[in-house]
Amino acid sequence: MRFLLRRLGFYLLTAWAAVTLNFLIPRLMPGDPVDLLVARLKGNVDPAAIDAMKRAFGISDANLWQQYVDYLGNLAQGELGRSITFFPTEVSTVIAGSLPWTIGVVGVATLISYVAGTALGVLMAWKRGTWLDGVLPAATFMHAVPYFWVALALVFVFGVTLEWFPVSRAYALDVVPGFTGEFAGSVLYHAALPAITIVLASMADRILGMRNVMVTTLGEDYVVMAEAKGLTSRRVMWAYAARNAILPNITSFALSLGFVVGGSVLTEIVFSYPGIGSMLLKGVENEDFPLMQGIFLVISLAVLVANFLADLAYVILDPRTRQ
Amino acid sequence: MKRSLVALAALVLAVAGCSGGGAGAGRTASAPPLIIHAIDSGTFQENFNPFHLEGVNFGTSGMIYETLEFFNRLKPGEVTPWLALKHEWSKDGKSLTFTLRQGVKWTDGKPFTAEDVAYTFEVIRKHPELNKSALELKATEVLAPDKVRVDFASTSYAKLFNIAGNTPIVPKHVFEKQNPVTFTNPEPVGTGPYTLSSFNAQLYEMAKNPGYWQPGKPEVPVLKFPAYTANGVQTALRQGEVDWAGAFVPDIEKIYVQGKPETNKYFFPAEGVVALLPNLTHPVLSKPEVRKAISLAIDREKIVRVAERGYTQVAHPTGIPMPGGEAYLPPEHKDAKFAVDLAEAKELLKDVDPAELKFELLVPSPFTDWVNAAQLIREDLAKVGITVETRGVAFQDWVSKVGKGTFDLSIRATPAGAEPYFQMRSMLYGKLAAPVGKSATGNYQRWKDAETDRLIDAYAATEDEAEHHEATQGLGRIMVEKLPTLPLFYSPSWAQYRTDKYVGWPSAQDPYAMPSPYTSPDAAVVLLRLKPAGT
Repeated sequence: MRFLLRRLGFYLLTAWAAVTLNFLIPRLMPGDPVDLLVARLKGNVDPAAIDAMKRAFGISDANLWQQYVDYLGNLAQGELGRSITFFPTEVSTVIAGSLPWTIGVVGVATLISYVAGTALGVLMAWKRGTWLDGVLPAATFMHAVPYFWVALALVFVFGVTLEWFPVSRAYALDVVPGFTGEFAGSVLYHAALPAITIVLASMADRILGMRNVMVTTLGEDYVVMAEAKGLTSRRVMWAYAARNAILPNITSFALSLGFVVGGSVLTEIVFSYPGIGSMLLKGVENEDFPLMQGIFLVISLAVLVANFLADLAYVILDPRTRQ
Repeated sequence: MKRSLVALAALVLAVAGCSGGGAGAGRTASAPPLIIHAIDSGTFQENFNPFHLEGVNFGTSGMIYETLEFFNRLKPGEVTPWLALKHEWSKDGKSLTFTLRQGVKWTDGKPFTAEDVAYTFEVIRKHPELNKSALELKATEVLAPDKVRVDFASTSYAKLFNIAGNTPIVPKHVFEKQNPVTFTNPEPVGTGPYTLSSFNAQLYEMAKNPGYWQPGKPEVPVLKFPAYTANGVQTALRQGEVDWAGAFVPDIEKIYVQGKPETNKYFFPAEGVVALLPNLTHPVLSKPEVRKAISLAIDREKIVRVAERGYTQVAHPTGIPMPGGEAYLPPEHKDAKFAVDLAEAKELLKDVDPAELKFELLVPSPFTDWVNAAQLIREDLAKVGITVETRGVAFQDWVSKVGKGTFDLSIRATPAGAEPYFQMRSMLYGKLAAPVGKSATGNYQRWKDAETDRLIDAYAATEDEAEHHEATQGLGRIMVEKLPTLPLFYSPSWAQYRTDKYVGWPSAQDPYAMPSPYTSPDAAVVLLRLKPAGT
């Protein structure tokens, strides 16, 4: 229990640091959103109206400290402000509209890749010296390939050349969103390529990580003892070796959630998928502080929650942490 | 000027070549829907409030809400009565009376009256944050059900386009119940040819307004606006999915035309001018002979051919968009043309210390075409002994540096507006030249000249067309003779349209409106002219 409380305190501190950085980093970018808007709209706006727009967007000239206090105050009330890119839509509405797509595709794909990759890693360590070792070079290769490259290759082969899968959007244009089989099918069909990208690109890490630790664990005395006791090899493999070997993999999984969201930005852009990554790109392009802050907040909170869950998993898997 | 990701996608497409490529939906007996890409967007938010500049969905202005008059930007001076039949200025140019069209109805059945027009301008007056044209509104008065007067604090002749051509009129009875600043108007009620029929984050549709005041129009029954990202629209154009797009296409013959020039058409008229900005606060660049030499050394034809893929033309030395701007050219420079003359350029530079001829050319790196143009300029200027270092920076950084005047040379586009005056004012007006270090809103090179300012003020002080021509010609003369900024080429307005479903699009032969779907309210004017193909 004390362990958990200590962790909780640590996470609160981290959350505060993340919130503060969220506030500061967008403001370090050069330029301001209204100047950018004027440059981008190529004259559909009278430059003299810049002042009017600054007022509409609530861009204040107040000093940084005052802005920071206001920001924390609004945050405490769950108020994320209005997006500049999608003015006057609230940032929370924009995030609510895009987050489900990211969680649906990136989240599910990451879980699949984690479960499949870990299981494959365990098997490969157990049966080393067999044909399964042939997976290793492939995994090493995939480990080195960036997400967007896999995405581009898949778009090129299966989307553009073979035309098996759609290359953009979350569902077909002629489908009306709703709880219908047709809509669900369309969503799955459109999610296939982005999900495959993420599974392919992130699974290799899991395979390699799990296999390497597993190989070490298999040499431990307690594994030899378990075998000597005459336990079934399945029991030895999963309950003795894998249970201990999986600990570092859980940490790396929690840590990698942040990178998953980062990597998914590129995946979403390549597939024109309407998730949080595409929104983040829009926000950055337009120096949309409120939107960027909102998305960064969601990402950092997701990572913190994932780490906390990893800690909980440790408590369950490793009795040593329970004291 | 498109992102590198587009180029990446285009590469993929170009490699893929012309495999497959469906011919679009089969033609049905009734008129088919028109599929439109206006701006790149991954998803839409439900916003149809025409007072908004950013975030509002395309079509709100023009298709749903209409303006009082229509100004054809491709034929400056051509004004068509729309919701207003005519306008009349007071002698001092401070009040403007509109006589409105009668019999126009909002789509909820209520009549359109002078109350609505007065209300629209009142909203802008009361909410400075919605005053996107910076109108100096003082008061409005309804004189009769079809007559309304708008008063301004200062002479506003030059703002006629912003007042009558760029302010969509909203229904008072709907908007007065809302806060116009934050209202997202999910169920828009307009006077225009279309009404919103469905909306979701990936697609919205508009259907014909059966009670539209132009009888028998529009002939296109349904408009579909799918969300296309910059990459997505390239694929859509290649596969024939979209009928009307406003996109930069890297290799248009291969990706879009696909050997069918009679149906897969495009038209890229000038919507502004791209110029090389010499920072006039720089001691060397402020010398006219240096600017003249730079201008003489640059091979603009090559820039257009290589960097701009031949999609546009070399600018007229006055910078006035052509064709269309003939009346505004100073007669003695009518046939003026930029020509390369290295010998003369060297001659002009002979008294300048070669060590001083070192400049940095700042370009936004996402605009790959400008980056290429900058490289060509660097090579050209090296031939006359000018050392140019090109520096690509992030878009945000470029906007900020050019705004503050902390650059030697840069490239920037200036929009043409409804008449060349708008462009000239934005490029040359002394009052826009903020001191270096403060963000300017135009005249980024910081040109200060009494004669220029006099001509711009003279234009704004009258509504007489002949005087307008004269003032603009004077400004054109200054452009040619004093080179306050160096026009390179016209910035094109992108428009791809297919004629297999509908015909009647604007073209070089019949430039009745801006052809790009992202220009409002021009796009609605185009839609009203379309007829089903084969009729």
